[in-house]
Amino acid sequence: MRERHATYYLLGPAIVALTLTTLYPFVYAFLLSFRDWRLSKSPTPGAFVGLENYVRAFDDPNFINSVVVTINYTIISVALSMIIGLVIALVLQKPSRLNTFLKAFLIFPFAMAPALKGFTWRFMLNPHFGILDELIDFVFPPLQDVVWLGEPGWALFWLAITEVWGWAPYIALVFIGALDSMPGDIFDAAKVDGASTVKTFYYITLPMLMPIIVMVTLLKTIFSVKQFDAVVTLTGGGPGRATETMNYYVYQTGFKFFDMGYASALAYLLVTAMFIFAFLYVRTIIREGQ
Amino acid sequence: MASSLSSNSKARREYPLNFSWGKIGWQLARIIGLLFTIVFIFLPVVWLALTAFKLPIDAYSTKVFFEPTLKNFQTIFLPPRSFGPMVLNSMVVSTVTVAITIPLATLAAYAFSRYQFKSKNVLLVWVLSTQFIPPVVVVLPFFTLFRDINLLDTRTGLVILNLSFTLPFAVWMIKGFIDALPPQIEEAAIVDGCHQLQLLYYVTLPLVMPGIITSAVFTFIQSWNEFLFALILTRREATTLTIGLMSLNAERGILWEQMAAAGLIVMIPIFMLSFSIRRYFVEGITMGAVK
Repeated sequence: MRERHATYYLLGPAIVALTLTTLYPFVYAFLLSFRDWRLSKSPTPGAFVGLENYVRAFDDPNFINSVVVTINYTIISVALSMIIGLVIALVLQKPSRLNTFLKAFLIFPFAMAPALKGFTWRFMLNPHFGILDELIDFVFPPLQDVVWLGEPGWALFWLAITEVWGWAPYIALVFIGALDSMPGDIFDAAKVDGASTVKTFYYITLPMLMPIIVMVTLLKTIFSVKQFDAVVTLTGGGPGRATETMNYYVYQTGFKFFDMGYASALAYLLVTAMFIFAFLYVRTIIREGQ
Repeated sequence: MASSLSSNSKARREYPLNFSWGKIGWQLARIIGLLFTIVFIFLPVVWLALTAFKLPIDAYSTKVFFEPTLKNFQTIFLPPRSFGPMVLNSMVVSTVTVAITIPLATLAAYAFSRYQFKSKNVLLVWVLSTQFIPPVVVVLPFFTLFRDINLLDTRTGLVILNLSFTLPFAVWMIKGFIDALPPQIEEAAIVDGCHQLQLLYYVTLPLVMPGIITSAVFTFIQSWNEFLFALILTRREATTLTIGLMSLNAERGILWEQMAAAGLIVMIPIFMLSFSIRRYFVEGITMGAVK
């Protein structure tokens, strides 16, 4: 009996705060998504329009564009994060003084404000005085005339890299943790049996990393779909609409054009997409916990 | 590696050529990988840090050697840039968010970790899944609500919205740390006649202190870096540092030397904090799961 009271007292405050800050907007946005509400015309929600906002979304080429951009962006940034993360992990895994030193710095890119990451990369990619632009021109002269953030494909690529820069080092740390905890005798046995480095990696290391790769991929996917800050500070959605992600389009609709009803409907379509990954992720976590 | 392989003559006989070329190849790959890693990790940070100390004329070039100056820091703290109040806003909003998040999250995490109750799993999944709601969904209704109750452009408004992502993260993270404690210690304290809340205060809390501090640091970093809410909800009075960066985007383009100086101010506290908890960093994020 006493324990039950304690549970209420302990959980109560957090549950109340979460209900207010997440459940309330979640439900309210859902209700708004069935209404016509242009903030510029009326301060209160307008008429109930049924599914009109949702129907409109599928006829809206800008929305379709944002879905495609988000999918492309997510694929590029997840794939690159995993690959570069794995490379960094394999390079830094062996204990040495340099590696210990480098590992301590891996957390910085991850902790840096995403908005600042966007500006930093924008600075480095500037065609006139960007250090990275100059480095690339030096290594690959044929790419000299490319204005990195002026071409749709490249802009999306660099937007992804901006995020990969933060995530790959973090993923590397996760992988190093996993590699360190692998039993050493398996690798010794492989060596004794004469397995090559590539074979050892492919047949032993990779399968043992698989559960973690799955978890990190899901986690990274969720973050990529949520990407917003660097879109604003690196590309502003441009050139044209080439880097306009779903998040950014919802923001534009709601807070540039003040079409709250339509923005809520778009946001809910985004929630639906997130929910699929969230479901997979939660299931993986719970399985892991048991 | 070489010695253990050469002791196994069979392996050598099977891959005589392959082996030595492979070894050189791997060494080369390792060196390229190392170089790549170093450039990839450090270039953006180092370049930003260098630019912060450059005069405008040097900032718009790729010079590595230049006469350092502190003028940019002076410029951004003087009008019309006035970064002072923004630093204060970021500090206050982040500190208050931590001060509210951590006690609430610790109590809830303790209940989730130590008690059995009917709707426990439902609540846990709910807390975890709130982290997947895109922030833009949260801010839509709050924008109109705050406009009606005069909380637009206030630090209070920002703190309230920050809770929407810091709280679920911290609950999961602290729960992870409490789960990792052996229950025997607490059982012994109960035998000694310890009351429930005494137990939490005198036994569990001191033991999970490193975990709680880690969560506090994460919460601070998240609030400090927060951008979307501040972009939408603040105009003049409550603008934080990340929004201050946007103000350096003037008509004739971004003022990069000032941007770099402001960037350092955004970056340095976060670097110091994350360095202080580097031992728990990876574990912490994995436990907290998602932003």
